[in-house]
This record gives sequence, structure tokens and C-alpha cells, in this order.
Amino acid sequence: MTVTEQGLLERDKDTMTLNMGPSHPSTHGVFRIILEMDGELVKTAEPEIGYLHTGIEKTSENKRYQHVIPMTDRLDYLSPPSNNLAFCLTTEKLLQIRVPERAEYLRVIMCELARLGSHLVWLATHALDIGAMTVFLYCWREREMILDLNEEVAGVRMMTSYIRIGGTMRDASAAWLRKVRQFVDYLPSKIDEYERLLTKNPIWLDRTQGVGAMTREEAINWSLSGPALRASGVDFDFRKQRPYSGYEEFRFEVPTGKNGDVYDRYLVRVEEMRQSREIISQALDAIPAGPYKIEDNKVSLPPRSTLHSSMEALIHHFKLVSEGIHVPRGETYVPIEGPRGEVGFYIVSDGGNAPLRVKLRAPSFMAIPGMCKMMEGCYIADVVAVIGSIDIVMGEVDR
Amino acid sequence: MTSEEIVETVTQTLGDKVERGEVALGDAVLFIAPEHLPEVAAHLKNDPALAFDYLSHISGVDYLDEDREPRFEAVYEFHSMDHNHSVRLRVGLAEENPTVPSLTGLWGAAVYPERELYDMFGFTITGLDNDKRLIMPEGWEGFPLRKDYPLTTEDIAFSHNRDYKSELVKSKPPTR
Repeated sequence: MTVTEQGLLERDKDTMTLNMGPSHPSTHGVFRIILEMDGELVKTAEPEIGYLHTGIEKTSENKRYQHVIPMTDRLDYLSPPSNNLAFCLTTEKLLQIRVPERAEYLRVIMCELARLGSHLVWLATHALDIGAMTVFLYCWREREMILDLNEEVAGVRMMTSYIRIGGTMRDASAAWLRKVRQFVDYLPSKIDEYERLLTKNPIWLDRTQGVGAMTREEAINWSLSGPALRASGVDFDFRKQRPYSGYEEFRFEVPTGKNGDVYDRYLVRVEEMRQSREIISQALDAIPAGPYKIEDNKVSLPPRSTLHSSMEALIHHFKLVSEGIHVPRGETYVPIEGPRGEVGFYIVSDGGNAPLRVKLRAPSFMAIPGMCKMMEGCYIADVVAVIGSIDIVMGEVDR
Repeated sequence: MTSEEIVETVTQTLGDKVERGEVALGDAVLFIAPEHLPEVAAHLKNDPALAFDYLSHISGVDYLDEDREPRFEAVYEFHSMDHNHSVRLRVGLAEENPTVPSLTGLWGAAVYPERELYDMFGFTITGLDNDKRLIMPEGWEGFPLRKDYPLTTEDIAFSHNRDYKSELVKSKPPTR
């Protein structure tokens, strides 16, 4: 703005710059967008990130492999088990070990519970952003049950660190598995309830259909992943395409959309919740008995009871606690399907007990430029709908 | 295609553009010089038998303590949505003036990870129109993910005392 001779304010350009964030309730964290507005329409959207940078990748290079796991929880803090699993699978690939079957099933149950929990938070906040308060309260009610389940099995409600290198932290009791069964039996009627509130709601349709649409080609070009990619019609899910942790044994569908707009992303995620529930249900039916972690004592601690009777166990215990796991030289990347899409760690090992490089492939980070492309041409009110539909988590964007 | 087939096809078609290829732990890995990167990447994307249309991630690695040449590496991981296979490109970069061409013309999503390469490792990305800091604040000194950037040193970002020259907080090296 410049001041004219008459003391009036005069605009330099026809557009208005509008700052949104970094502290804005619908940016789901500390995320800033600088919008260039032409009236109500967004001309360009310039994202700015880094407000939640905690240097997790740098810190990981100075920690032992086991010590990195609690930090991975804090990346995508809405689904810690997915991050744990991605990290552990990559390390296990470098170690060339395979965990026992029971551990794989427990990992699948935890990851799918986390996917449900994450999608519930997404639906709650996404609907709240668009103005549906009721859904928020309903979703939070069910998520609370998942957090209670987490607490019972891992001792922690959110940052579970339940999945460890070589298996899981501890075995799940039959009582806990029964509670999970109760929960998955209870959930479908609640998903119907959310759908009754939204799926055919004319206000919801008005706000979401045709908003932030991306074609198949655009979605691939902008590296969207997970539900956002599938909503654009790409049938790609790592659980199906490259099964890991025993996913090939479960029957489930991968929902895809057609239009790639906010509404399709909503439909895909809601259907994914039903499919996750289906996977957990099958896993509970088929979970085998047996060890919950690998018996190689160079990777996982020997049982506590053997420490007083076996010299070897004592040495292994001491070496593992004081030195950690020595991972052979090499580097690899194992992608898995997290709630937001492709999660993976690129780990370089120099043969020591701490990684030389840990890089997180974060779906939210990769999606941000594409997300801002979607906003161009939208109304300002649709900006929050678009952000919600991509379901970004700033913990994994800024790392 | 299996990883072996990918490595074989690409090394045969592109000849000396690819330094060497290998299959490491089941992953197809190609070693490329930075000047050949755009050509190799375009081939990987446009050849219908390969069709690596999806950029998974770009990562930098600093091999300072490893005593090897070159010191830096930029690592690219691509998937193919149609063929469901992946490839990794490892681009070695020299210690002085590490420069790598931008791939934003081929994959739009490359813009953020490439800006991150500059931000965290100080690589120059040629052809990227926006080379500002991405995660670190504007005007930050040093590149945090380089191995010679200390873990526990902290610059004091703001101080009411203008003459105060922030002292580096040096602590003992991290214990592993």
C-alpha cells in the first residue's frame, strides 16, 4: 500500500496477500500458508514449514538403533506404530532377520488400530474445520477406546513404542485380545453413524464435492500417497502391492475414488476404516501362539528368568544394554502403508551400533507442494477443507 | 520387473551414463554421476517398460567419517505405479561445491526434498527457482545434517542485548 497526496491509501496490486497460520486451528499444527487472494479466490498459495523442526533425523544418527524407536513415535504422532514398524522392518532387513509369526500379527493389529485412531482424528478435525461439530465429539469417543487399548498393551496411551526390533515390546494377553475383539465388534455401527451424519448431508456435499480435485496424473506427479492418491483413482497400496509383516494373509479391499476431490478422499478413508476393522478381526481369529519376539539374543533381550541361571544370557543382556545392536554395513529402504500413505525409513549403516543416516519418507511432507497446488482457484473457505483432506501431521513434515 | 532385470536393462540401454548397477538386499541400485542424472531420470520415467512415474523420496547422505570419495551422496527412490517396481539412484557429490541438477521438470514433487537437500546438506540444486531455506529459519548458518555440524551446539536466535555475542554451547560428544 502507498499513501497518496490526499492521504488516502492506494493499493499497489489487484490481489491481497493473506497470511494464514502458523497458529491457526485448521492447519493441524504449526503450518503457515501465504495466500495471494483475488477477492474470495485463491490465486497462489505459498506454504511455509519448519515451525516444528526438532532435528529428529540428526538426533537419530547419534543414538543406538533401539533408542531411535521412541523418537519415531513423535514423527507421525497420530499413528506411532506405523513409524515404529517402518523403522523396525528396515533395520530387520539390514540384519536379515524375520520376526516370529505372532509378532507379525500383533504388529498388524497395532498398526490397524493406529490407522483407525488416526482416521478418527482426521474425520473429527476435518469435519470440525468444515463446521460439523457433532462428528468431532463422536469420533473422539471411539478414539478414546483405542487409546485405552494402547495403554493396556504398551503402558502408554499415545507414544506406544510397542513394536521393537525383532518383535514387540511384550506379549499381548488373551484378555487384551478379547477387548480388541469387543472394540471391532462395536465399531461398524459407529462408522455408520458418522456416515449418516455426513455422506449424504447436502451441506457436506456442497463443501467437499469438486473441491481440490486432482487427476490421476497430477496426483502421481505431486507424489500424493495413501488415501489421497487412491481417491484420484490410483490403485496402489503397499499392503496389497508389496505385502510386509504378513499382510498377504488377510482378505481386504483397497477402496479407490474417481474424482480425486475432497469428498472422494473422505469416502476412501471411511471405507479404509471398515477394511482396517476387517483386517483386525481376521488377525484376531488367526493369531498363532508362540514367541512374540525373535529368540536371537544378539537382537532381543534374553528372558529375565534366565539371567540368574545362564552365564550366556547374562553376557547377552549386558552387551545388548551397554552396546546395542550392531547392524551390518549397508543401506536400504522399506516402504509401508501408513494412515497417510507411504512411510519408510532410508537407513544407512556403517556397521556400528548407531545408524549413519536415518531419513524418514514422510507422506505429509511430500504432499505439501501438491496440496498448495490444489488450493489455487479455490475459495478461501475451501482452503481448510483441502488441508483437512490431505490430513497432514506437522510432526513428520518438519521432523 | 525384478530388481536384477531393472539393473540389467538400464545399464545396457544407457551404457556409460550409469557408473554401475547392483542389487543390494533385493533393491535395484544405480550409481550415477550428477551430470548424467537428468538424462537417466528422464529415461527411467519415459521408458514404458520402466515407467518410474512416482518419486518416493530424495535423501542426502554425508560419508565424512567413512573415508571415501566422494564425500556426499544424493539418493533418489522411484516407484512405478503400473509395474509395481522400484529403483534407487545414488549420486555421488564432491566435497567442494556439491551440485546436483533439479528434477522438478520431471516430478513436480521433487521441489520440497530438493530444497531440503540445500537446507540440510548445502547442496546446490541447479534449475530450482526457489532456493530459500525450507525448514531452518531464513539466515541460518551451516547445514545441520552434515556430519561436521555439531549435534549440541546452539546459536542464540534472539537476545535483547545487541552486543551479546552468542557463545556456542559446547557439550560433551554424544554417547552411543
